[in-house]
Amino acid sequence: MKFHVWIGVLLLMTLAGAAGCRKRGETAKADPLLAAYDTEVDWTDAQHVIPLSYQQAQGKRIFYQQCVWCHADATPAGPSNRSNLTPVPPLLNDGATLNAESDEYIQNIITLGGTAMGKSAMMPPYGRMLSTEEIRSVIAFTRAIAQPPYQLPARAGSQYSGK
Amino acid sequence: MPAEEMGKLTNRTRLIFAVSSVVFLAVLAISPFKDFRREWKQYKRSYLRFAQSRPDTKKLLADYRPDIDQIWLPGMNVVDRCTTCHQGITQASLADKAVPQPFRAHPLIPHNVRDWGCTVCHRGQGPATEVAEAHESTLAWEQPILPIRYIQASCGTCHYDDLPQTPQLTRGRDLLAELNCQGCHRLPGIERPAMLGPDLTNVGVKVSREWIYKWLKEPRTIVDKDGNVTVNGYETEEEPRMPKFPLTETELRGLSGYLSVQKAKAVAPNKIDARVVTAWSRNPELISQGELRFRQMFCSTCHSLAVTRAGETKLIGGDIGPELTKVGSKVNPDWLIAWLRNPQGYLPHTRMPRYGWSDEDLYKVTQYITTKLTDSDLLTSVPQLGQPTEQEIQLGHRLFLEKGCASCHSIDGLNPQKDFGPDLSTIAGKNASDLEFGAAKVPHNLVAYIQAKLQDPTSVNPAARMPQYNWNQSDLDAITTALLSMKGPPATSASQNLVVPRKEVAFHPTGSFGEVYERYKCYTCHKFDGYGGDLAPDLTFEGSRAQRQWLVDFLKNPQTLRPTLILRMPQFNMSDRDAATLADYMTMVLQHPAANPTAVDAKQFTPAMVALGKQLYEVKYQCQSCHTIGGTGGYVGPNLSNAGGWLTPAWIEAWLRNPQALVSDTIEPRRNFTEDEVRALTAYLRTLRQSIKPQKTASTTAKHAATQGAGR
Repeated sequence: MKFHVWIGVLLLMTLAGAAGCRKRGETAKADPLLAAYDTEVDWTDAQHVIPLSYQQAQGKRIFYQQCVWCHADATPAGPSNRSNLTPVPPLLNDGATLNAESDEYIQNIITLGGTAMGKSAMMPPYGRMLSTEEIRSVIAFTRAIAQPPYQLPARAGSQYSGK
Repeated sequence: MPAEEMGKLTNRTRLIFAVSSVVFLAVLAISPFKDFRREWKQYKRSYLRFAQSRPDTKKLLADYRPDIDQIWLPGMNVVDRCTTCHQGITQASLADKAVPQPFRAHPLIPHNVRDWGCTVCHRGQGPATEVAEAHESTLAWEQPILPIRYIQASCGTCHYDDLPQTPQLTRGRDLLAELNCQGCHRLPGIERPAMLGPDLTNVGVKVSREWIYKWLKEPRTIVDKDGNVTVNGYETEEEPRMPKFPLTETELRGLSGYLSVQKAKAVAPNKIDARVVTAWSRNPELISQGELRFRQMFCSTCHSLAVTRAGETKLIGGDIGPELTKVGSKVNPDWLIAWLRNPQGYLPHTRMPRYGWSDEDLYKVTQYITTKLTDSDLLTSVPQLGQPTEQEIQLGHRLFLEKGCASCHSIDGLNPQKDFGPDLSTIAGKNASDLEFGAAKVPHNLVAYIQAKLQDPTSVNPAARMPQYNWNQSDLDAITTALLSMKGPPATSASQNLVVPRKEVAFHPTGSFGEVYERYKCYTCHKFDGYGGDLAPDLTFEGSRAQRQWLVDFLKNPQTLRPTLILRMPQFNMSDRDAATLADYMTMVLQHPAANPTAVDAKQFTPAMVALGKQLYEVKYQCQSCHTIGGTGGYVGPNLSNAGGWLTPAWIEAWLRNPQALVSDTIEPRRNFTEDEVRALTAYLRTLRQSIKPQKTASTTAKHAATQGAGR
């Protein structure tokens, strides 16, 4: 008799426990492109599509309006002005050159122009035309499409360093 | 019941009572355990652990509470508990991709999360506290989260105007308008054009019954030898606007028969003297001269032609008018001459300008079109149709209404059926259970439904009347985004106030300028006060910019100002009077207050200023990186070789001070010139003069045409 009761109790408890832990819905593996505001095809590899956040997408829009004429080899209107210039301006995805520059430096050269930073006067200043947010978004886009890929700088004690 | 038996029963009852008490206690003990194990509480605890592992723990936990967090915006019907798990959403230091979800910060956007909540943009279920219920559609909750790829749809629920930040939404809305979706569907916010499809009252005099049959069967005329539509495969603009309807052989015969007898008005005689024509037709160069004229007049700015180079066929040219690769096999040559002389005589609402043709040019160009832009195989697959029978005409008449042709094409005396297709004004608010998926093997949600329906209307409904369109992925996504923005009017009065309406702009001048403006359809490419196309420069302040004499010369013989463009101003063969009317109106009316041509005294410019200006142009500011003078310089901005003959000094000064004040979307950077520098540069640019060059030759034009693209 006692044995049966305990079996019954155990069974009930298992049932109750089972009701408690409902199977968690398996979350479908997120497609990074479905989770992207916009995308940009890697300039060096047409098969590689880079997902862009909102800010990067705004940078892409401003890039294709203002910067593409000299910082890309193909433009929405066809030929590029890049080959026309000496010194040749870096391509925007040129990670080998631009990854080494800090965000602050790139922001300064866009805002103040080449002359102010000791570079070619052919780079005009955009500080009176683009807002700080717009210039930051262009930098964010630059970082997103850089080849080789851009890595956040590891600064000692930085909030990005983890532990 | 005897007493002793009652005692027995009591013992058994006691036992039962004891056992059930134990069970009850056990069940009660599970309940707090279950509560402790709640999904959101686990996320809370794991955020706590996560925050403690970060250097800025204090900041991350500043507003941490172990309870459910909620953003409550009564005015907008928002009760969003998303921040219960998405706890780092406003923490800038958690923006990095390495931060695990759901703790990552929200990417930078123009709206503050705390003020707007989450579901306003992302949809899904705000009050839900379980991952699946909040994000996915379940039996109880039908609105799933909107995939970020279509998130611009949510911008469009309040922003009825076009935002530069949402190119995909704008593209989708443009597609809905371009493809005349509002012919059959109610689509609020999508402008209904003056002409949806061509008026067919007179179509019988333009094309043959066989051509109509072929067009109805397969509207795309350029298909490669394997039957792949490689040419039209990418850009939807290059697709004909006419979609493909599923029609049976009998239906094709009926419709083509009915349309081929629509001959309300015969073609006007071409009025060219037969003897002159005989003389011209002996000219061995006739066709190539016609082709040259076709190119010189820049028909390609609006019409494209298929060109095969190195085995690859491409459409080259604009997309404002229909592509013309095989038009010679399509239209009646007499109709073509009448059409080119006066397009509005055949279609009152067409955007085709009325050119001032000489008889000789008209003859040569039409000869070129009817002999070169042809395809002898175009109609070989069409059976011999002959004269339509009365039954066929009757059937065609009925089908024209039943198939929805009358929703886009008018025929005098025919009234289209009202609201032919479903009303799409609230499509984005539909729950999955309201949608008919039929046999389609797609996930049961709204996005999948819209895409399946767009790609193959019969996949979700075999009896669908909607025709077949050909989309590439980006256009499919764009149009999905635009449809997902149609949630209907805002639900609450507070969200009503958030709606940014679409600006209604129009520029319809009257008088003699209005007449010429309408004849040449200037607004198809140019913008006036926000109204018009964006293919060519904004002319809102053209009168301040250009000198009158330059305007007259340019209108009579358009020159290339921006060398990288292949889409150019067509040569209208304008009369002196028309050119003078346009130039006079522009110089008098289209003026900017900051650039008054009479306010600048030309005498103030000294040779010393010119020298300084040249120095500034070439050395200090290096304007030559974008502008060309003579043969050298860049080609981002316009050629300045004739700046002195083209621009007014007042415009140059105002432009140097603030280009965006004059043309808001110009890419000329606004610089920080001193007033002396402004005057010196103006003095220098004034001295640049160049007489107008002769017309470009055919070979260079062809070379330019080879590089596809558009711009300013």
